[in-house]
Amino acid sequence: MSYSATTNSQEWGSTAKNSMDIFLTDKNRAVRRAVRSFCEREIAPLAKQIDQEASFPWEVAEKMGRLGYFGIQAPPALGGAGLDTVNYVLTIEEISRVSAGIGLCVTVHNSVAVGPLLAFGTEDQKRRWVPSLARGEKIGAFCLTEPNVGSDAAGIESTAIRDGDHYVVNAGKVLVTNGGIADTCLFFVRTDPKAGRRGISVIVAERGTPGFAVGDLEDLCGMRANPVSSIRLTDCRIPIANLLGREGMGLAIGLAALDTARMGIAAQAVGIAQAALEESVRYAKQRRQFGVPIAKHQSIQAMIADMATEVDAARLLVLRAAVCRDRGVPFSQASAMAKLYASEAASRVTDMAVQIHGGYGYSKSYPVERYYRDARATRIYEGTSEIHRMVIARGVLGD
Amino acid sequence: MHIIVCIKSVLLAAPEKQAAVRTADFSDLNPFDRPAIEMALRLREEAGGKITVLSMGPPVAADALRQALALGADGAVLLCDRALAGADSLATSTALAAAIAKLAPYDLVLFGTRTSDSDTGQVGPQTAVLLGLPLVTWVHELERTEHGLLTERRADGFRERFEVLLPGVMTIHPASFAPRDAALAGIEEAYETGNVRIWNLEELGCAPAEVGAAGSPTRVVSLTKKKKDRKCELLTGTGEELAETLVQKLLGRGLIG
Repeated sequence: MSYSATTNSQEWGSTAKNSMDIFLTDKNRAVRRAVRSFCEREIAPLAKQIDQEASFPWEVAEKMGRLGYFGIQAPPALGGAGLDTVNYVLTIEEISRVSAGIGLCVTVHNSVAVGPLLAFGTEDQKRRWVPSLARGEKIGAFCLTEPNVGSDAAGIESTAIRDGDHYVVNAGKVLVTNGGIADTCLFFVRTDPKAGRRGISVIVAERGTPGFAVGDLEDLCGMRANPVSSIRLTDCRIPIANLLGREGMGLAIGLAALDTARMGIAAQAVGIAQAALEESVRYAKQRRQFGVPIAKHQSIQAMIADMATEVDAARLLVLRAAVCRDRGVPFSQASAMAKLYASEAASRVTDMAVQIHGGYGYSKSYPVERYYRDARATRIYEGTSEIHRMVIARGVLGD
Repeated sequence: MHIIVCIKSVLLAAPEKQAAVRTADFSDLNPFDRPAIEMALRLREEAGGKITVLSMGPPVAADALRQALALGADGAVLLCDRALAGADSLATSTALAAAIAKLAPYDLVLFGTRTSDSDTGQVGPQTAVLLGLPLVTWVHELERTEHGLLTERRADGFRERFEVLLPGVMTIHPASFAPRDAALAGIEEAYETGNVRIWNLEELGCAPAEVGAAGSPTRVVSLTKKKKDRKCELLTGTGEELAETLVQKLLGRGLIG
C-alpha cells in the first residue's frame, strides 16, 4: 500500500517521550504537524537540488502561498492566516528543518516585509500591498544593506529627493534576501542629508517601476535556494503615497521589524540544528565501527547529548521570545538572546553532525554539509552575533 | 448534500501497556480517515451542502475533529462519556449509529477503511448494518448520478462498479484521494472558533448496557509488543552458487518445493 500510516509520527527530538511538547497548545501542535507534513512531502525531495542548482522552487512557493505561509501573522481580512508569534516560529522552524533557504524566504517575507507594512502602513497601504503578499502572489524584500552600510545602518547613502508628489530615488542595495524574486521592496533611503539617524525613511518600491533593476544573484556558500541579489534604483520616481510611516522614521521602522525578524532567524537556526541532530542520530545508529553501531561509542554519545541539549535550549529561547511578543511584553532582549544563541548553537550542532558523519559528512552525498553551510549564515544576517552581544549587553548593563 | 465522516483519534505509537493513556502529543487524526475527509470535501465542492465529522473518544479526541474542521468540515460532534470507554468495534458502531441517526437528515456516511492503531476495519461495515443502509467498501472513485452515486471499488485485483441509492455508507480506499494540506488560516479558525459539540450518553440516547465495555462482546485479553526476530544473512559466491545456496536454504525451511 502506498499510503503511509506513520505520517506525522516523528515529533521533536530523537526520543519518543519529549517534554518540549508541554509548552505547546493543541493549535500549536496542529500547525507544526501540518507544516511538517507539507514540507516533508513537497520540499524535502527538492531540498538537495535547489541548494546545488541555487534555484527557487516556484511551484512549491505557490502551494505555500495557498496554505498561508506567506501571511502567517497577517489578519484574515487582509488574506493572512492570523496566527500568533509562537505559531509563526514553529512554522519557520519546520520549513527550515527541510530547507533553510526556503525558510529564509518565508521568514524574511513575513517579518520584514509584511510585518512593517502591518505595523506602520496606513489602511490604504495595507489594502494595497498586504493581500497579494499574504497569499504569496507577490514576494517581499527588505532593502537595507549597501556596499558601505551593514551593521551601521545610520550610514545609509541611498537617497530619495522630493519632487512634487514623487520621490526621485537612487539606491544601491546589496545582499537582498529574496532580491531575485521580490515584487514589493522596502527601501531604506536618506530623505534628509543633514539629519543623520533621523534622516532615513522607508519607501516601498515595486518591481517594474522604471529604474528598478535587479542585479546578478549572489553565489552564496549556503542558503542557496534563496535568490539573494542586489537591487538598484536609478532615478526611480516613486509616489509619496509609498512612504511608510513618516519621513525620518526609517531606522525606527527597521529596528522594530528586526526585533521580530530575529526570532524568525533564530527559529530557522533551530530548524537547521534539529535536522542535523536527526540525521546524526540516524547515521550513528546505522554506521558500524569496531563491531558496533557508532552510537554505542561514548564519544559519539557525548556529541549527540550536547547537540540535543543545544537544540532544546535554543528552541526554548525562541519560544520565550515569541510568547513575550504575543503577550505584549517587551521582547527585544529575549529576541536578541534567542537569535544569538540559536545561530551559534546551530553552528556548533552542524559542526558536530559533520564530525559524526566523518568523511561522508564532508561529502555532498549526505545532507549534513548543507546544514553546516546554511547554519553559518544565521550568525551574520539580520544582525551579526557581535551586534547582538552589544544589544544584549546594553540591556543587561542598563545603558 | 449532508455528508457525515466518521473519524478516529489514533495513538501515534503502539502503547506500552494494555490501558493506553491518550494524550494530545501522542494522538493524531487517523491517516486512513484523511482520504474520506478529502472525498467529502470534493463532493461538497461539487454538489454543495455540509460536512459533519463525528468521532467517539476521550476529550483528547476533539483534536482530531478540529483537524478535520481545519481542512474544511462544517461541524463536529464528539461522543464522549465514561460509559463509552472500553468499547470494541461493535459497541463503537452502536454509538456511532445512534449519533448518525440523530444527525439525520443525511445523504452519505463515510469512513476510512481502517485505523492505524487498532486496524480492525470493522466499524464502517458494522455501522452500515446497524443503520440498515447500503454499503460499499474500499471505494476508489465516485461519480454523482441522477439517483445517487456511481462508485468504483478496487479489491483483489478487480474493479467493481456499484450504483448506490442514498443514503448510503462507504469506506474510502487509502490510495483513492490524496488528502489536502490544512491551510494555516483553517487551523487558526478551527482551534479558535471551531465548534466541537460534545454528546454524552444521555444526549446520545443509548442504554449504558449497549455501549462501552458493557456493550462489547469482545475484549482485549492481553497486549504485548511483537519481537522482530528476523536475521539478515549475507550469502557470498558466484551467481550460480548464490542461487543454489538460496534454493537449498528455502527448501530446508519448507518455504518452497
